Amino acid sequence: MRFTFMCRERPGASHYRVAVVGAGPAGLSATGYLVCRGYEVDIYEKLPIPGGMMSFAIPRYRIPLDSIMEGVEELRDRFGVKLYTSTKVVCGERHDEGDELVGSSADLLKLVEGYNAVLIATGTWRSRRLGIPGDDAKNVVSALEFLLDLHREELGLGGGHARGFKKVVVIGGGLSAIDAAEESLLKGASEVYLVYRRTIREAPAGEYEVRRLIRLGVNWVELAAPQSVVVENGAARGVVFQRMKLGEPDESGRPRPVPIPGSEFMVEADLVVAAVGEIPTPPIASDCGGLGKYVGKDGRILVDKGLRVPGTNIFAAGDVVTGPSKIGRAVRQGLLAAKEVDKLLSLRALVAR
Amino acid sequence: MPDLGTLLRVVDYSKCMGCETCEVVCEFVHELGPFIRLYELWGGVKRPISCFHCSKAPCIEACPTGAMRRDPQGAVYVEFSRCIGCMACLHACPFGIPELSEVTRTSVKCDLCRDLRGDGLTPACVAMCPSRAIVLGQPRAVGDEVKRRALAKVVQLSLGESG
Repeated sequence: MRFTFMCRERPGASHYRVAVVGAGPAGLSATGYLVCRGYEVDIYEKLPIPGGMMSFAIPRYRIPLDSIMEGVEELRDRFGVKLYTSTKVVCGERHDEGDELVGSSADLLKLVEGYNAVLIATGTWRSRRLGIPGDDAKNVVSALEFLLDLHREELGLGGGHARGFKKVVVIGGGLSAIDAAEESLLKGASEVYLVYRRTIREAPAGEYEVRRLIRLGVNWVELAAPQSVVVENGAARGVVFQRMKLGEPDESGRPRPVPIPGSEFMVEADLVVAAVGEIPTPPIASDCGGLGKYVGKDGRILVDKGLRVPGTNIFAAGDVVTGPSKIGRAVRQGLLAAKEVDKLLSLRALVAR
Repeated sequence: MPDLGTLLRVVDYSKCMGCETCEVVCEFVHELGPFIRLYELWGGVKRPISCFHCSKAPCIEACPTGAMRRDPQGAVYVEFSRCIGCMACLHACPFGIPELSEVTRTSVKCDLCRDLRGDGLTPACVAMCPSRAIVLGQPRAVGDEVKRRALAKVVQLSLGESG
């Protein structure tokens, strides 16, 4: 990914400095645009390797690591971008998934002071929990934890806890569920169940992806919602599901799953993967000098039309603004936010003259 | 094998994951774009389509004003000052590629990022595709790359190895 696809070299260096927080598709695309406009950019990334979900969650057969690294190396070696990896930027405290790889932390407010603009692209590194009895058993993990572990192992960064399971139950119908189920199969699980509360037609991953997994040998169970995790000695042994039927459309426009009383059944498992959604993880985890009010209930950063936190030099882009989405949409937001940063700083340069 | 001197772009649909990056960056660099677009086909499968820059381009043949042209690298593009917006090119195109722009009142289409190529850069969609699904180059090289990928899959199946 040539994030600097718009220029060959950094034009006459600007003395304005921008900090980009998060080296995923949004942050890296924003960086590419900004260096092509002459800015000096430092990237802060909490994981040891840049790329965000592209490096640590999306299966390698979808995105080769080189494809990301060639663009990152170009940013660093030819455009003078400084990359502070294993560095988590936060104001306040919050533990997110992947934080076990963080080496040091930096204060968001210091960045806001030290740079002319800060662009936040920290993604969605927390997972929704099942919210049922037993979901805290040690072999109940989120899709993100599961995929992160496999990627860590592959990248030589520890991990290796997610393999060796024989019966895996994945709960959810989105792309994280698909990836977790497929990776389970590839890592040698003998039985993989993919359980979704609506039908294949409503699955956010799309009917094709589900059918592809069925062809690979995944057991697809639709119209079933988890009721409880069966726990023995602290470890999950299976999941009790209840059958659903489709009801009236809910606020998302999809038919609401309605429980059928007395229809409970159990699926045995030695690993339960909850793929029921990820939550934005902004670097604002407290009131943070008044910034706290720009974080929505769902964790998203509330920006104005120009992707700016009103009245500040802080911009935000990607999944931390939109919630979990596609790479292309994160790239779009990164580029648009970078353009807005450029607008603000160009105006400032003009006024300063 | 003589150098054909033309660029060929192929979307390797076995690698494409429908992430929309190509469409996004195309729209970002072309005010009138995007000129590579994803469409949903069935079962949630979305894939991009764009101009194939045919070596015997029917759109160039059909254009009554000589507005549809080919540049030295082989990209078929619209010379706006000559285009009358008749869309004969669209009727001629087997893939329905040219579009009528409401802004310029002319035909518009992919030009393989003429401006970027003019600066020695790669078309945006190719440069940014995360899965390297968009292959661009001299026809021979593109053919080799696509065949190598297909071969790897066949051999992987018969050897049972992951490459």
